[in-house]
Amino acid sequence: MEISDEFEATPSAESVFENEVQTVFQETLGLIHIALVSHYQLTEQEATELEKDLFVWFRRFCYRPGASVRENRPYLLVACCQFAREYQKYVVGTGVRASDDRLKSILDREPADVAHDFSRSLQLYDFRRSDA
Amino acid sequence: MLLMTFRAVCNCTTSAVQMPDVANVLRFRPRVTSASLSREDVDLRADEFLASELYDSESEVDRTLGVDGDVLTAVCKRLGDVLNEDPRAVGEKAPRLYRYLCAKSSRDFFFDERDFFLGESALLAAGASRLLGKKEETELWLDRADANFRHTVSPSPQLARVAYIRLTLRYQTRRHEEVLELLPSVTLTFEKLGMENDEAKCRFLEAMSLKELGRVEESSTKLERLAFSRRERVDQSLYGMALVNLGDLRSEKGCFDSALAAYKEAMPLLQAANRHYALADLKVMVGGTLRKMGQLTQALGAYRDAVQDHVNLGMATRVAYLRILFAEVLLEAGKVREAEWEILAALPTIDQEQMVPEGFAAAALLRESVRQRNPDSNALFELREYLQASN
Repeated sequence: MEISDEFEATPSAESVFENEVQTVFQETLGLIHIALVSHYQLTEQEATELEKDLFVWFRRFCYRPGASVRENRPYLLVACCQFAREYQKYVVGTGVRASDDRLKSILDREPADVAHDFSRSLQLYDFRRSDA
Repeated sequence: MLLMTFRAVCNCTTSAVQMPDVANVLRFRPRVTSASLSREDVDLRADEFLASELYDSESEVDRTLGVDGDVLTAVCKRLGDVLNEDPRAVGEKAPRLYRYLCAKSSRDFFFDERDFFLGESALLAAGASRLLGKKEETELWLDRADANFRHTVSPSPQLARVAYIRLTLRYQTRRHEEVLELLPSVTLTFEKLGMENDEAKCRFLEAMSLKELGRVEESSTKLERLAFSRRERVDQSLYGMALVNLGDLRSEKGCFDSALAAYKEAMPLLQAANRHYALADLKVMVGGTLRKMGQLTQALGAYRDAVQDHVNLGMATRVAYLRILFAEVLLEAGKVREAEWEILAALPTIDQEQMVPEGFAAAALLRESVRQRNPDSNALFELREYLQASN
């Protein structure tokens, strides 16, 4: 009797979905990192830790009904800005880190507004992606 | 370390809630993340969670599991999957899950997840209460769901689902014109968000409201469109329910054969989905059609089964209505003693649940006539009409 050495050719719907979540998160990660480090002035290590949390959240968020994984990217940015803001407020509030005008200015803004600005970068990315 | 401490103290939602006085809350345990849980672990823990008796923060289950987003997602999905099949079980477990989550702090969750899971558990409890005919409880659970979903990052899909259940409540209280006025907005939300199943449910509710308003042709057209344009991502039992009601409309028009054909087509769809409630309703419709066809013996069999099915489902008010309907057919068939039994079994629930305050006189007349062992068919008819209007 011959035993086929072929593996299952078609991946499950769940693994396709998980891959898409991972892909979209990876595509957005550069922007997230810029938001965390350049704008919200987190250290590299802090940003990396927050990015891990964001991925865990985003993966579950994508299972909620209502939008495709790709359409959920703006919400990922909102969550990123919200969490970065609350974190920096906490750090500055405890006196561990001093604030400057640039940091104060971004902490005064609503995270959704900051995320909105970043979303424009995503649109530009999408445009370039479709163009390519 | 600073980040871990922060994770433990922060309350991260999209609302503009200010941070608490952080200087006082530095010593919180670090939060355990769920990134390392395998699918099997998640399933196992979801089962353990649902099987546990207490769901409280002091229980052994809580000490073992802690709060885990993946497990909670699996728990909510399981409850959602069996909602239509077993609303009584969901009606017990979802409120307990809600109370369990209420006792937890935001710091145990990622970002907006406490609000999301509270909203989900409340929505499940609302869905179960509605199916069990508990209108006031449903409204309270919907308010709770609404209050929690509003603080999530993307509330529109969940709030639309809350709005949908509110409309089904209006349907149940016979405010059909209002349903038809408000439904298009909810339908459009689902359409825009690509929520095909919820959109199909709205289209079904629209057809049902038209049916109740006597706009038979419009209702038939919409039910046919729904039943015969099937989509893969829509719960197939919804098509079964569309066919059941299409059969009922055909039966009203005297097209008995095509009515029975629609019922026949609906049955496997409902059976495959374990839609016991809809199957029980199907028996009521079949009973009605057989009664119109003059096949009283078969009609009585269908009604008898339907009553028993509703009893098994724990739908007390619906059972009371069906017993009265069954009694009417029993009287028609000359089975007076059996009719008395059904009436006597129904009246306590009708009184207790105040099902027809406006039909009080008819209920009193009927009770007296049964006491004299001579059921008043007019009072029975009148009471059935009142009940039908409120069911």
